[in-house]
Amino acid sequence: MQPRSRFPKAVYGVGEEPDPRFTLANERTFLAWIRTSLALIAGGVAIDAVALPLSGPVRIATSAVLLLLGLALPVLAWWSWAATERALRLGRPLPGSVVTLPLAVGVGVVGLLVAVGVLTR
Amino acid sequence: MSAADPGLQPERTALAWRRTLLALAVAALVSVRVLPPVLGGWTAATGLAGVLVAGVLWAAAARRSRRSAAAFPHDRGAMPGGALLAATALLTAGGAVLGLLRLVVLLLR
Repeated sequence: MQPRSRFPKAVYGVGEEPDPRFTLANERTFLAWIRTSLALIAGGVAIDAVALPLSGPVRIATSAVLLLLGLALPVLAWWSWAATERALRLGRPLPGSVVTLPLAVGVGVVGLLVAVGVLTR
Repeated sequence: MSAADPGLQPERTALAWRRTLLALAVAALVSVRVLPPVLGGWTAATGLAGVLVAGVLWAAAARRSRRSAAAFPHDRGAMPGGALLAATALLTAGGAVLGLLRLVVLLLR
């Protein structure tokens, strides 16, 4: 019987089957980032789809930052999931979170922009 | 038969999939309202296609959850792979791209 080949090979072609509790935890982490990304996309669209008391250029900048974060996050979440699953299979230390810093910086920038936007309305 | 897992991991993971895909479906549905005024009628179709894809992913996630629950915790090799995650990430990124497109078109007006 042929062994099942799972996608991607870069993950499943190496190492051994890890404790599935860690695999499922990794999966839930990925899904949490996807939901975060959806919230950011919704925010980015809502900024100008809904009339908010912000000045024009600030509104655009805020919208852009949120949407760019919403685009980057699924990519980072996938990469993070794959790197973590690989590390689990190889028994290596888990990679640090790639997602947290861009997210923290991005949301901080958005907060600043909104503050500026409200003050310069 | 696998012993019940006190951490309820397969159940929590199944719920996480449902929460996530529901949010995706709702976002796609809202896009039908929000995108066409700026990008044109074709984005109503993409929104509906997004809802359909979310539905397909939902069915796939249900299968995945059954398979995980059966494999957990002893049949490690039977745990599912990453294809559904990749599809979910792609669908989400696609939504972000459409949102950005909408912003660009608004700027160019």
